[in-house]
Amino acid sequence: MRLTFLLIDDDEIERLKFARVLQKNGYSHNLIEANNGEVAMQYLENNEQLPDIIFLDLNMPKMNGLEFLKILKSNPKLQYTPVVILSTSNNHNDLKESYGIGAAGYIVKPLKYEDYARKIKCLIDYWDVNELII
Amino acid sequence: MSNDPKILKRALQREKAARKQAEEILEGKSRELFKLAQELKQANAKLKEGLTEKTTELQGVFGNLVDAYVLMDIFGNVVKMNDAAKELFGYNLDSEKLNVTDLIYKEDYGYAMKSFHQLVTHGKFSDYQARVYTKHKGIRIVHINASIIYNTKKKPIAAQGIVRDITEKLNQERIFQEQKNQLSTIVENSSLGIVLTQFGNIVQTNKAFRNLLEYNEGELEQKEVVDISVKDEYATSVTFMDQLNSGQINNFSINKRYLKKNGGMFWAKTSVAAVRDQDDNIKYQVALIEDITEQLALEKQREELVKNLEKSNQELKDYAHIVSHDLKSPLRSMNALITWLKEDYKDVLDDGAQDSLNLLLKKVDKMDQLINGILKYSSIDKVDQLRKNIDLKIVVTDIIDVIYIPDHITIFINSDLPTIRGDVFRLQQLFQNLLSNAVKYNDKEKGIITITCKQTGKFWEFAITDNGPGIPKKYHDKIFQIFQTLDDSKESTGVGLSIVKKIIDLYEGKIWVESKEKKGTSFYFTLKA
Repeated sequence: MRLTFLLIDDDEIERLKFARVLQKNGYSHNLIEANNGEVAMQYLENNEQLPDIIFLDLNMPKMNGLEFLKILKSNPKLQYTPVVILSTSNNHNDLKESYGIGAAGYIVKPLKYEDYARKIKCLIDYWDVNELII
Repeated sequence: MSNDPKILKRALQREKAARKQAEEILEGKSRELFKLAQELKQANAKLKEGLTEKTTELQGVFGNLVDAYVLMDIFGNVVKMNDAAKELFGYNLDSEKLNVTDLIYKEDYGYAMKSFHQLVTHGKFSDYQARVYTKHKGIRIVHINASIIYNTKKKPIAAQGIVRDITEKLNQERIFQEQKNQLSTIVENSSLGIVLTQFGNIVQTNKAFRNLLEYNEGELEQKEVVDISVKDEYATSVTFMDQLNSGQINNFSINKRYLKKNGGMFWAKTSVAAVRDQDDNIKYQVALIEDITEQLALEKQREELVKNLEKSNQELKDYAHIVSHDLKSPLRSMNALITWLKEDYKDVLDDGAQDSLNLLLKKVDKMDQLINGILKYSSIDKVDQLRKNIDLKIVVTDIIDVIYIPDHITIFINSDLPTIRGDVFRLQQLFQNLLSNAVKYNDKEKGIITITCKQTGKFWEFAITDNGPGIPKKYHDKIFQIFQTLDDSKESTGVGLSIVKKIIDLYEGKIWVESKEKKGTSFYFTLKA
């Protein structure tokens, strides 16, 4: 099944990395990119077609990941879309807060690109076999 | 011749008549005299009776007199003493003689003589106050009123004195005065301001209070409490004062301001208590005033410091967070980009370029480890985990299972490891860092690492000994500092031992090194039992 991902990350290289994993693995999934929470929110409000999964960075300028997540989860229309956190931090509080607000997963970005590629592949394969609300 | 018998006869008759009349008068007088004598006799008897009565009465007064009574002749020989006098002086006149000069205290002799002179010349003296000796060489202070007794011819025949023992009274007065002095010394020299008030009026103040308010002595006593108070707080203190006066409370304490004489004010802690009379009615209010301006300033300063500390603590926490994100992100990007270069251009890049890119990746990796080290180091004391009973035998065995140990190295546990109170994560880190160092740097063909432990007082002393390269003496302190490593070829960040040191500090233990170069090293450390 062809999924649509919304990736929210302020770091261009991080977005490139995600796109490269999709491309190198020959996935045909659709990737929408947003470089911060506000842009992402605008996209979600202006598009009828919602993404299947949202990948969200935590540390971003302006609206950070947790703020974005709170807004999303309090929106009756948007609250069902699974959000997976992609974070640098394995800080216990961040984890607790993310899951508390309603994150569907929490991935710590590893240093090495190979490790990253492996993790993202697992992630996509996992969501590929999940039932999703369309 | 004139001798006429008739005349003679008549004369005789007249004479007879006169004699008869005289006899009659005499008889009458005699009767009168008798009667008078009778009356006199009666009166005399009555008088005698009265005198006896009076004497008895006097005797009674004399005996019952609380004060000592002394009667003496004009030579000072004591003739009579009442019971009180006997008791006071200790003499018994029935069996011994006493002259008043025996009683005079040596140093008071002059005064005694002067008083005696006054007694003789004026017939009395009063309010004589001096010391006397008792029979048993005791010294008493007495008060005497004395007077001379005269006979009917106004001739002095004796002297009498009423003697009161005022020794105790004077003593008590002295003690009372002394206590009063002590009390006023305390009050006057107290660093606390002390004020006595009577329903809003200032009755008395001490020096400290006057100094606080910059008033002179006596000036405040004309004022009322309201004059030296600030309106808002005065209202509060009046509320309390009413409760105090109505007996609802016995004391209270408030922080209020006082107005100084020449403007300006200061904050003071004021503790007020009621002073009651014997009937439990409030007579005064006593207030203790403590200048807390400085204290308040210090408190404020402390609050600010705590706030700042909290802030900088939070900043430190955030700092670790920021370090993890902001420093690690570029490293991740670099790793990705270098990896892509290698992948995308592997046909173009020669071996030299590939080697350079690999070295670059290694440096990025090292940088990442340094950052991880900082994070670990700074998070050691961040969360104080619950201390539980931790069996170190299990902790150490687990670590030996987990860390990589090459075949030529063996770890021996040579003592029974104890169970101690602590946080398992920290204790793991402690042993893991020491053991993995011992393994990592061992340069011998047959590496041997031993763990021993013994109890010394309140502490367990552990030793981890290896037969590795040893550590030169000059580095023994340096190795525990962060980022200090003696090895630059291997993957060492210089964080491991600094973490060990920090954990041991947290457990109030000590760590030290003994080492022989090329022979091996022993790390000793203590943990609270």
